[in-house]
Amino acid sequence: MALGPVLDWLDSRTGYRAGLSHLLDEKLPPGVGWWFVTGSILLFLLGVQFVTGVVLTMFYVPSPDHAHESVRYIMEGLPFGRLLRGLHFFGASFIVVAALVHMLRVVLFGSYKKPREATWMTGVVLLLLILAFALSGYLLPWDQKAYWATTVTINVARSGPFGELVAGVLRGGEALGALTLLRWYSAHVFLLPACLAVFVISHVYLMRRHGISGPVEPQDAPSLPFHPYQSARDTLAMAFVFAVLVGAAAMFPAPLDELADPTDATFVPRPEWYFLSLFQLLKYFPGPLEPIATVGIPGLVVGWLFALPFIDRTPGRRLRDRPLVAAGFAALGVGVVALTALGLRDSPPNQAPKWTPLARAGATFVQDARCTACHREGGGGGAIQDLRPVRDPEWVRAHVRDPEVLVPGSRQPLEGSMTLGQAQSVVSYMRRVRARAGALPTISAQEGVAALILGRYCASCHMLDGEGASSAPDLTTVGRTRDATWLREWITDPSLVDPAASMPAFGAFLSEDELEALVAHLAARK
Amino acid sequence: MVLGGAVLSPGLAKRVEQWLPAGKIGDLVPNQPTAVMLRVTRQDGYAQVVDRRTVFLIRTSETQVTALDSTCTHLGCRVSWDGNANELVCPCHGGRYDRTGAVTAGPPPAPLAAFDTQITDGDVLVRV
Repeated sequence: MALGPVLDWLDSRTGYRAGLSHLLDEKLPPGVGWWFVTGSILLFLLGVQFVTGVVLTMFYVPSPDHAHESVRYIMEGLPFGRLLRGLHFFGASFIVVAALVHMLRVVLFGSYKKPREATWMTGVVLLLLILAFALSGYLLPWDQKAYWATTVTINVARSGPFGELVAGVLRGGEALGALTLLRWYSAHVFLLPACLAVFVISHVYLMRRHGISGPVEPQDAPSLPFHPYQSARDTLAMAFVFAVLVGAAAMFPAPLDELADPTDATFVPRPEWYFLSLFQLLKYFPGPLEPIATVGIPGLVVGWLFALPFIDRTPGRRLRDRPLVAAGFAALGVGVVALTALGLRDSPPNQAPKWTPLARAGATFVQDARCTACHREGGGGGAIQDLRPVRDPEWVRAHVRDPEVLVPGSRQPLEGSMTLGQAQSVVSYMRRVRARAGALPTISAQEGVAALILGRYCASCHMLDGEGASSAPDLTTVGRTRDATWLREWITDPSLVDPAASMPAFGAFLSEDELEALVAHLAARK
Repeated sequence: MVLGGAVLSPGLAKRVEQWLPAGKIGDLVPNQPTAVMLRVTRQDGYAQVVDRRTVFLIRTSETQVTALDSTCTHLGCRVSWDGNANELVCPCHGGRYDRTGAVTAGPPPAPLAAFDTQITDGDVLVRV
């Protein structure tokens, strides 16, 4: 059946042909060229974010229990999931770059001038919305970076006007948690897209209302319609940018840190590159001056951007006729680039954790029959080396101590149980394996014996290298304050040193070789 | 009002403080910050969660213990004890505190928050 009558009917009812003609046949000023594809690229990238975002929400779960694992599933289990998340992740950076390039093009061509002030101002709102999208998207994977970047963001908000109120609204609860994640998710997928749609439509409407500004110097040539002349350039530019984006997403996996751990004092949080300048700025305004960096300077920059068409009222569009505007943007650019470079310089990579004696002991403990009964190749629980402890350390520890407690039916109960220290050692070992800490380094036989004693007994009460229990003193640097003689006496029978000591005597549990190894190890901890 | 109340109220709710055991005073080395992890139960919307919160205990005399929050007062990152420098150090913007929680360097605007403590039968209790 011919399609013509159907389209004729559709046009008679909707007038779509006139609408299409209005969209495509607009006459453009002569000389409009490649400079004017930046807005279309931005619009296209926003479309990519929308489409990939919709598909991501089909697999993402916005709860602290499942967010991280659902993102990991997208990356590792979902067909094309790595590419999908890569497009969304790198697309965010591409959009920030495209928005900045578009803004600079508008500034360079003086396109913000009368009568396009409102177009410019809606553009500034769009830039802020894009940054808000980036910020709210941060938290969703619920990994270390997400948690700590959001902690910093909420605390930045506290230093502004009505700080506690704003921070409370951003946090959604008394602490960062499920309520925070849900409201940031809600903002990212409902509130911000709705605002974005309103301002994109306004921006495009205003652009059409006043027409494209065209080259700085009017050219004497016939004006051409948007389609096919400019639309072809737009399409080519969009295809090129999309190809680069797909290439980036295919070559580099979008990063996913470990599960958020609010107690981790070793993770060095650093934001994405486009917020790094602001993050760095916070270092230079100590104490009561902090609001200058959090609210003052960013507020002035945004205010200046908004007011630009009213501040620069000169009629000329050539940049050399607007030295103050050129100087202002140059200063802003230099400032942002310099702060970003300083931020990068001050960002030590989060290194894989090193092998500690406890982790070494864990490597031995996981070879225990009680573990390998299930956790082996082809076993019901999967090999330990392949496991990711997605639950919190308490859960893992409880499971290691007695698997039946937390996974009923997982196995027949075996004789005996692990000490708390052994369980902690296993967790420590699994963390190293998960963080790709590399092969176990070679140590002396005596050090190996000491590691096993630390894991079996000491770590049940003491902290070692940031891991272990905290019901007794931290032993990480015990050698600074106690010598070998004292340690030997104390470990053998603490009541001989201090009658009120609460630590049990270990002399009866340890052989002479084991005691010697342990004392030598502890005395060397300085 | 309904929308505003639903959006605003959870974030502004005051949490109920509770006394939690944090170890034995006899196990603390005098004037040496010891990191202790407290487990604080709270309602987080639909879920009841247990926050793991690190507190530094410093035994200042035979009967007194100071408890310092590990949250940097600058922007909320987690500080840790640097035994070589004898300071509490924040990894984010380089804030540094001495063992009393006072700022010694960097951008933090205030000392580390201190929690109330009490000693009962040798047990250190901290109000968080």
